[in-house]
Amino acid sequence: MGGMHGFGAVPVDDLELPFDEPWEGRTFGLYIAAGVAGARSGSIRPGIEAIPPADYLAMSYFERWASSLERGLVDAGTLTEAEIDARVRDPRPPAQHGNDTNPELAAGLAAALVDRPRGPSGEDVAARFKVGDRVTVKRMAPEGHHRCPRYVRGVSGVVTRQPGGWPHASGDGRPEATYTVRFEMRDLWGDDAEAGLLHLDLWERYLT
Amino acid sequence: MNDQPASPAHASPSVTALRIEAIEALLVERRLITSDVVDAIIDTYEHHVGPMNGARVVARAWVDPDYRARLLEDATSAVGELGFGGAEGEHLVVLENTDAVHNVVVCTLCSCYPWPVLGLPPRWYKSSAYRSRMVREPRAVLAEFGTTLPDDVELRVWDSSAEVRYLVLPLAPGDAADRPEDELVASVTRDHMIGVVR
Repeated sequence: MGGMHGFGAVPVDDLELPFDEPWEGRTFGLYIAAGVAGARSGSIRPGIEAIPPADYLAMSYFERWASSLERGLVDAGTLTEAEIDARVRDPRPPAQHGNDTNPELAAGLAAALVDRPRGPSGEDVAARFKVGDRVTVKRMAPEGHHRCPRYVRGVSGVVTRQPGGWPHASGDGRPEATYTVRFEMRDLWGDDAEAGLLHLDLWERYLT
Repeated sequence: MNDQPASPAHASPSVTALRIEAIEALLVERRLITSDVVDAIIDTYEHHVGPMNGARVVARAWVDPDYRARLLEDATSAVGELGFGGAEGEHLVVLENTDAVHNVVVCTLCSCYPWPVLGLPPRWYKSSAYRSRMVREPRAVLAEFGTTLPDDVELRVWDSSAEVRYLVLPLAPGDAADRPEDELVASVTRDHMIGVVR
């Protein structure tokens, strides 16, 4: 939504907690736990981007996560909408296994989430461009999940860093070179833009 | 808008809360998950990961020039030296503020954020207003945080659009070398490390 108008002032508040309400934490934890269990398909961003735009704008951040979780569980064949609907109409704790625990997985997962990497991720892959090159973001209108904001399409900038290669849009394909590209604010927003520079990381396929 | 839905036509938080409760009960009954695992994930991000980690990184960089150099060269490894890393911190880049440069971070596509050093993002970082405006009128947004940037300071906005996660290294206080590191840690806030405060 970079550059869109009409959202008003940033709703700055002093809340420091990661989750405002308990269900938000449950949503976050369930998303990760269901992924580890192989019970859901897809990943968070494509699932969120599949939400119809008007609904997306009306939802809070963790409502979008909840929507993506539900979609992933249904797409994987783990649950059906009808099952979830029925349980919502008849809310009750688990009929069985409600007191089961898995301390080994709980501890292992908590540790894995904060496990130190040996070094920065990003594959050493062939790259068409190098630091200092002037590149232009292609005009395009891709469907489905991608990571190229609309507001940089058609605009030229300069490569400032090559962080390495990753599968496009966090998918499961082969690693592809990414570039940090620096843009002039006036090239993005016109002559009355604020002074400054804007940097984005872009996959090679977006650039020419 | 503040990203809190007002219209009952869409899922309200309480409806979503009920659906999440139903989903958890169903997954538990089928032995696909156990609730203690969900608890452990929540506990990690409520109690063990947060801006206090990033503040340790910043304070160390302020007092140790060699560490600072390593941090600017390869932040992932330098942050790892202090014991921090993990999900959403697989490739970290630290952006150094100077007297002539100020950096600020946003994610316009979703809410990408360097979890190992800052925890999960605050509500405003995820808001439509921040995401839409920080790239187009960053100085106006900074002013809403009480940050007025002199015209001669170059402003660099970083939109975390792919795999790199960014952390701002704020300007060190003039007397940083004379102060205990713990005191410096306490002076660094999340907002400094996102860059909405200088």
